[in-house]
Amino acid sequence: MSVYQVGLIIQVCITVMTVVAIFAMTGLAGMFSMGQAAYMAIGAYVTFVLSKTLQIPFYLTGIFAILLSIFLAWLIAVPTLKLRRDYFAFITVGFSRMVGALILYFEDYTRGAIGFTKIPRVDGLLWLSLGSLVLFIFWIRNLKYSRFGRMAIALKNDEIAARSFGIDVYHLKIKIYVLASAIASFAGILMAMRNRVITPDSFSWKMSTEMQIFLFFGGTNSLTGAILSAAGLRMIPEFVRNVNLFGVSMQEYRMIAYALLITLVLSFRPQGLLGEKELNFRWVGKLLERIKNNTVTGKESND
Amino acid sequence: MVFQLTINGISNGAIYALVAVGFALVFNILRFSNFAYGSMSSACAFIGFFFQRAFDPPPPFIVTLLFASFSGMVIALLIDFLGYRRIRINNSPKIYYFLMSLNFSIFIEQILTIFYGTNIYSYPSIFKIQSLQVGSLYIKTMNLLILGVSVLLLVALILLINKTKIGLAIRAVAIDAETSRLMGINSNMIIITIFTIAGILSGVAGVFLGVQYGVYPGVGPSVMLKGFLASIIGGLGSLRGAIFAALALGIFEIFLTFFIGATETTVVLFGIMLAFLFIRPQGIAGKLVENKV
Repeated sequence: MSVYQVGLIIQVCITVMTVVAIFAMTGLAGMFSMGQAAYMAIGAYVTFVLSKTLQIPFYLTGIFAILLSIFLAWLIAVPTLKLRRDYFAFITVGFSRMVGALILYFEDYTRGAIGFTKIPRVDGLLWLSLGSLVLFIFWIRNLKYSRFGRMAIALKNDEIAARSFGIDVYHLKIKIYVLASAIASFAGILMAMRNRVITPDSFSWKMSTEMQIFLFFGGTNSLTGAILSAAGLRMIPEFVRNVNLFGVSMQEYRMIAYALLITLVLSFRPQGLLGEKELNFRWVGKLLERIKNNTVTGKESND
Repeated sequence: MVFQLTINGISNGAIYALVAVGFALVFNILRFSNFAYGSMSSACAFIGFFFQRAFDPPPPFIVTLLFASFSGMVIALLIDFLGYRRIRINNSPKIYYFLMSLNFSIFIEQILTIFYGTNIYSYPSIFKIQSLQVGSLYIKTMNLLILGVSVLLLVALILLINKTKIGLAIRAVAIDAETSRLMGINSNMIIITIFTIAGILSGVAGVFLGVQYGVYPGVGPSVMLKGFLASIIGGLGSLRGAIFAALALGIFEIFLTFFIGATETTVVLFGIMLAFLFIRPQGIAGKLVENKV
């Protein structure tokens, strides 16, 4: 495989990873966060800036970055998740702005808008991202079918009903938000290792919105849908990146195309492309059953 | 110096108030935060800028304002027609409104970026006399105009809501959309009225933003956050609270920027927002804190 292809696969892995994290939050618990890119920024910046400044290996600072994201997510979640959902969306917007401002503020360490480039080359990044992606997908899938996931779905559909059934809505929400933020932070570290340069602009609110668009396109209730749409929508623009329109590469029109697509999906198929469907292998068993039954009934009708 | 800063702060605050009130109105009726508002203002800033430049000699500023507010209205109604209307018909969850408004926001901003780049265009000077001197103070004519127009618009809006029949209907729908429909209020019409007003406000705010900060695709969204902040501090959905909070925020921000710097101000403002949510989530005026049954 060429370097470009490997890079693209890693990129797709990172995108899918973040969308899977958002699936846990928006798809399962119905929380709408616009600040997930900020956690990616924290992951990326804290890991590599600390590792450079203090001269310690980046896997140690990486762990610290993820712990820091967890702490910040908890700090934000505690006051806001008791309130209406709007407040939560607000605070995540404000948070992502604040992270951007802080990166510029510590310009001496992060090199501000120019971008931080002193990121070591890592071998085997492809396998690391593929492996962790599979792990996360498996994890979130299990989460969806566990007691925890069912409680989250109950909470999404009707918070008050869920509460009256004895579900601790508040702490459940905090847990899910912290989980999603930790995954986002990890994805941010991977992204920094892939691009080898990080700028505050690359973690803007546009990126957070893009993730939400991917999720809603595939369907908020379907993990398969989220994965497929994230991978698909991320890859398709790569095929047209050499085509120009109005003197601008077609890739620049990516967000516009996404916006149009998602408008259509939200208007005419609000449940997303895949709706509630999940990919599983139960249908194989059903098919076998049906074939068996058919042969049995066939014999009976002959008699 | 203090007085000078206060005046600048008030005129910034007046722009925030326009944005915050636009939010609060839409929030009151549809119970969602219209994130597309910032980009609408950006679009109106561009429209106003090119309208002003299209004629020689340039049209009076007030004509530009009117044209921009008309365009703002058209954009707002278009967004409602293309996006929110279907969500209302489908009766989808609130989260869809969030995504749809973000989606339009990104759509507008991206189109502006592709066609005009991220360069900052600045409005040509509008007044012959740039600033008035009162004693040792210099007051920019533009700041006075911004303040005057905003106060006029906000007072007119409050009168409209408190004194007229349409205002009564708006208040009724804000309290309970379902019941007011049973009482014979055409709630669709009210929603269209709300988007018209919000669009006009965003148009005016857009032109003022362009004049104050220069015209670039991100100008609206960057002020949008201040609008959010004001509407949180003022209490979500409360118009008067939002206006007062916006003015206070404008003044506070100018002082902070002057004394500690612009980057730090963003961090401090976010801290205030978080503190408010801790201590008094309902804001100054507020109600509507937790999800109702």
